[in-house]
Amino acid sequence: MATKWRRALLEGLLLCFVLFVIFGPISSLVIWSIAIRWYWPHVFPQEIGLAYWKQALGLQRDWAIAAVSIWDAFGTSILVALVATAVVMAMAIPAGYALARFRVPLKALILLLFLMPKAFPQQPIFVNLLPTFTKWGLAGTVQGVILVHILVCLIFGVWITTSAFKAIPQELEEAARSVGATRWRTFWKVLFPLAAPGLLVSTVFVFVTSLTEFTGTFFIGLPFVTTLPMLLYSSSGYNMQFASVIAIVLLIPSLLFMTFVQRVFRPEYMGGIAG
Amino acid sequence: MRSGSSAVEFKEFKGLRGGTHGFLPLFLLLPAVGFVLVMYIYPFVLSLLRSLTDEMGRFSFVNYSKAIALYGRDILFSIEVAVLGTLISTVLSLALASYIRLSNSRVSRLINSLTRIGIFLPYVVVAQMMRSFLAPHGLLNVLLANIGLVDINSPLQLFNIKGLTLGFLWKETPFITFIVLSGLQVIDDTYIEAARSVGARTHHVILRVLIPMIKPTIAIAVVLTFCTIVSTFTLPYMIVAGNPTTVTVDIAHRVTYFGDYRVASALGVFLYLIVGVMAVYYLRRAVREEVYGY
Repeated sequence: MATKWRRALLEGLLLCFVLFVIFGPISSLVIWSIAIRWYWPHVFPQEIGLAYWKQALGLQRDWAIAAVSIWDAFGTSILVALVATAVVMAMAIPAGYALARFRVPLKALILLLFLMPKAFPQQPIFVNLLPTFTKWGLAGTVQGVILVHILVCLIFGVWITTSAFKAIPQELEEAARSVGATRWRTFWKVLFPLAAPGLLVSTVFVFVTSLTEFTGTFFIGLPFVTTLPMLLYSSSGYNMQFASVIAIVLLIPSLLFMTFVQRVFRPEYMGGIAG
Repeated sequence: MRSGSSAVEFKEFKGLRGGTHGFLPLFLLLPAVGFVLVMYIYPFVLSLLRSLTDEMGRFSFVNYSKAIALYGRDILFSIEVAVLGTLISTVLSLALASYIRLSNSRVSRLINSLTRIGIFLPYVVVAQMMRSFLAPHGLLNVLLANIGLVDINSPLQLFNIKGLTLGFLWKETPFITFIVLSGLQVIDDTYIEAARSVGARTHHVILRVLIPMIKPTIAIAVVLTFCTIVSTFTLPYMIVAGNPTTVTVDIAHRVTYFGDYRVASALGVFLYLIVGVMAVYYLRRAVREEVYGY
């Protein structure tokens, strides 16, 4: 009986600690986003309100509140993420199909190509792309930012798509082929519908990755392309409230992704290897 | 006619498994491979070449000596943060994952889903969160000051290696826990019961049974975490005030303030060297597992 109580107590303490560690920083964002005045060392703000939210969402324009409408940056972010996701999936689906279903010549080398960007830092890549992009007229443009987003997202797209196809047993395709269906027809009528949930995970993961991409956009896009993460960064130095509002907006897609996709999300999606 | 076409199809059908398919797979892979070659391998090679070139375009190590002279302290700082962050988050994750695996209570299931939150939050959000939470007058210091653990006049200064490590722990501990737990959940309960039946206590079960069984999985999680911490630019850029700072922040300074791509590239090569052994281990294992299945 005593050990049971001790166990419950320890578990309760652990839960409190985990809650504090996870929600402490998150609640700091939430409080700051509604704090109008907050003086040290008070636990709660002296004055709260939705002024920064209203300003950020374009519902009011008050010169006394240091925040701009986030809709322009939001639009840029969505445009970049939509185009990047479409291009990534258009490349990742054939690549994933090839890696999952064929004996590919030079397979080790090709896999190495898709794994290297995860193992080695990508920042020197962005830095060294910048002079080339400047020469090509892509630096500081939305097109340039889309290209680096495609690079950042492509490896995840290829891994998740490959394992989505691999998870479907080949017997069904063999049955279709044996009664005379072409490879093209077998892919669209048999494999694609079966793998669709996995492909959807891949698409959504790529979309969220693009939406929250920072480093590549920082080097290629600044100062002309303002995505939401860039707006967050530029306001973070001088305006805690506005930066917190944007951070919460950026947190929402990741939380939605987590809630809906968590069940089917597998560890190999994060590292391209089951472990 | 009919029999002829079905013979062709049968031959092709046999090819679904095993045989080669000429250029079809390469054709399917071409867009993705081509994109990575142009947008990743080309600048990767450029970064190596730039780092070895002086301003006259001659072969030289001057960028490396400059990088060491100016940023030697920061190279060590990057290593320190990576080692510290990886070590602590690994120990925490092993404890947390073992607890979740061994306990079947409602609390452990709740903790399991709570820890998932950190995996998917992007670094830019985590950075802003930590910037407000760990600030000298931030929420953490407010709470500690109000319960008397911190002097109101000298709050904790965390915009240095401490806060940076805390930020990495916040993000990476959930990641390692997720990977390790997926390994632990494959282990059959009978192993644990067998150990218990011969008198093993909980810490014996964890250290002598569970962890040894999933060593390769732990190794991958540790390696990926180390590489991520060394590579991350956002968190140190937004959290660390002044010096010392990480190499990734120095690279950004070198480029945005001086337009100096050569020393920035040399610093990049130092990043490659820091992750070197770990990255090669990861690549070898991942490729071997995919190609040969072990």
